[in-house]
Amino acid sequence: MENSAKQKVIEDLLPQKFGKQGKIWVGILIFFCVIGLIAYIRQLSKGLQVTAMRDYASWGIYISNFVFFVAISLVGSLITAVLRLTDVHWSTPLTRIAEIIAVSAITFASIIIIVDMGRPDRFYNLFIHGRLQSPIVWDVIVITTYFFISLLLLYFPLLPDLQIMLHFKETTHKGLYKLYHFLGSFWKNTAGQIRISDKAITILSITIIPVAFAIHTVTSWLFATTYRPGWDSTNFGAYFISGAFLVGAGAVLVAMYVFRQHYKLEKYITEDHFDKMGKIVVMLALLYLYFNVNEFLVPAFKMKKPEEEHLRGLFTGEFAPVFWFAVSMAMFAPILILIFKKGRKPLPAFIAGLMVVIGSWFKRYLIVTPTLLHPFLPMQDVPASYRHYFPTWEEWAITIGSLAGALLIITFFARIFPIIPIQETITETEQHEKA
Amino acid sequence: MKKLNQSFILIGFIVLFICKGINVLAQETKNDLLLNLSYFNNNNSYIYLKAIAKTKIDGKFQLVKDVTISFYVTKDSAGNLLGTAVTNNKGEAVLLIPATAKNTWSKSVKQSFVAVSTANKQFDETKANTDITKAKLQIDTAENKMITVKVLELKDTSWVAVKGVELKVAVKRMDADLGVSETQTYATDSTGTINAEFKRDGLPGDSKGNLILVAKVEDNDQYGNLSVEKSVPWGAIPSYQTNFFKRTLFARRGQSPLWLELLAYSIIVAVWAVLIYLILQLNKIKKLGRATTL
Repeated sequence: MENSAKQKVIEDLLPQKFGKQGKIWVGILIFFCVIGLIAYIRQLSKGLQVTAMRDYASWGIYISNFVFFVAISLVGSLITAVLRLTDVHWSTPLTRIAEIIAVSAITFASIIIIVDMGRPDRFYNLFIHGRLQSPIVWDVIVITTYFFISLLLLYFPLLPDLQIMLHFKETTHKGLYKLYHFLGSFWKNTAGQIRISDKAITILSITIIPVAFAIHTVTSWLFATTYRPGWDSTNFGAYFISGAFLVGAGAVLVAMYVFRQHYKLEKYITEDHFDKMGKIVVMLALLYLYFNVNEFLVPAFKMKKPEEEHLRGLFTGEFAPVFWFAVSMAMFAPILILIFKKGRKPLPAFIAGLMVVIGSWFKRYLIVTPTLLHPFLPMQDVPASYRHYFPTWEEWAITIGSLAGALLIITFFARIFPIIPIQETITETEQHEKA
Repeated sequence: MKKLNQSFILIGFIVLFICKGINVLAQETKNDLLLNLSYFNNNNSYIYLKAIAKTKIDGKFQLVKDVTISFYVTKDSAGNLLGTAVTNNKGEAVLLIPATAKNTWSKSVKQSFVAVSTANKQFDETKANTDITKAKLQIDTAENKMITVKVLELKDTSWVAVKGVELKVAVKRMDADLGVSETQTYATDSTGTINAEFKRDGLPGDSKGNLILVAKVEDNDQYGNLSVEKSVPWGAIPSYQTNFFKRTLFARRGQSPLWLELLAYSIIVAVWAVLIYLILQLNKIKKLGRATTL
């Protein structure tokens, strides 16, 4: 690869300052975060009574949001690990996007679970009273582990890029330069360093897959180990993993389009990337649809009374509008769009990805709350507010704030670090040219 | 025109009169109250009367609550009033025979009791009566787990054995009585006695293995309801097994099954060992970098 071509790649992929659009975007995200923070302060001072959660619906949109974040974080292992280990090179420009989505999502999954506790100091009780037999303890362990693996998987491939960025001292903000220096000044691109780094990335790619599977399986077990209609399923682990792969892949489609448009990365995130990711999303949507059929058809065939109430609530009852919206948005519509070649062009693929993400958020809500409102024993002598659940403004504000927070992490990361790996792109182009 | 107006006024009065008549009839229609009076003598010491109030609504008997019942001895006159009680949700009103009735009680070996319900909006005053002959049960046990129950009737001033009285012998359990053997009922012989064999070996008793035997005469036309109890050490001492100290999936903190601990800690140690190894590799990369600079 010629030097000028290398310089062009570096120039194209170096992080860029926020333009007018970027500043507005950051401003909007910060606004939602502040509103969320205000709502959380209200919740802290007044207690969980400011939420619509009561005796029956004791898990509302906080836990739905937690499950959503955990699900979306799986994308890190899909793009980075699975595709890397299977020697699929076209995914290289997408690896860092996938990893930062994973890190930001898992960070806010941890935060939102503390929000759901009401009193954050109670988190300490988990360590002094937690039981190893409890899936909640497993979840805490596995989330922490996954967070560190994702962080390392983000950091190791970043080292060569940090070294590249250190060459631009004059054009880099002083504080950022110090950060790059602290994080990557020791990287000299020696053969020994490259060998250790490659080995570390391979080990991480292998390790992250079972841990990612564990995080989703354990999250599903938070529900499936409880004997309740809608949750009492042996299918739940696989159901959650397939759903997580789908929403993660959908999120990558969205992020790909946004970064491509905003940073003018058409040369690096090509239409071919959208085509391939689109195909992956179709496959994952079909897989998730298959698990959904399992999840609903088998209990519907037996129609045990409590299951019947739960299923009727979803298909034709109180939750039917949300249910059909979620299923259409997360599965049917994206399949119909992405199954055609024209649908896998950047814009339609972006729309399909957005539909997957939005539909999947509501799907998580449908997994969590309707079951709680269909207990085995009839709800008697309780206030009317106990029989239904609709989130309060505080819950919406905190949830939207957390989503904005996750997007803010991704936005700032893209401002500080190259969102497409520079060194890997150069290396792969060179290898391609040699071949 | 004037004639027509008069006709309307007349029809109006007739309609008003019919409506009023229907209303009065409706107010006067009351259901029949059925009153049942029973006599109870428990353990020869706890003597009471129980009245049950029922009514028939839509062809079905229903228990009536909140009916005031006055209980009398001999006849329903003010001087013979034993007391009053109000029926509960089960339609039952219970009255312990008070100590003040001792003289009346002692006068005769036979007694008549009358229960009178107070009239209210729903029911008229209703009466029920029961006549009993004073009797008692005696229970005794032998070492070979034989139970002897004797029925005695008061004649003049002495207790005499009664032949042909049906009774049950059972063990008191939490909700109902359990017969001491497969025999449902026993009838007294010429000595007023029945012999029952205890065939419930191994039945859990209290913490000392005690069971409470109970002999009962139920709804007897002559004696009412009689019962007598005796505690016997024929039960098994229950051994309570606790899983509190066992390692189970549902045990407390620190008591998880060993296989789970082994599995969980192995996975945690293995994964974190990999992470620590990778951090050490990062250090190695740093050292290599410094060495290159030097």
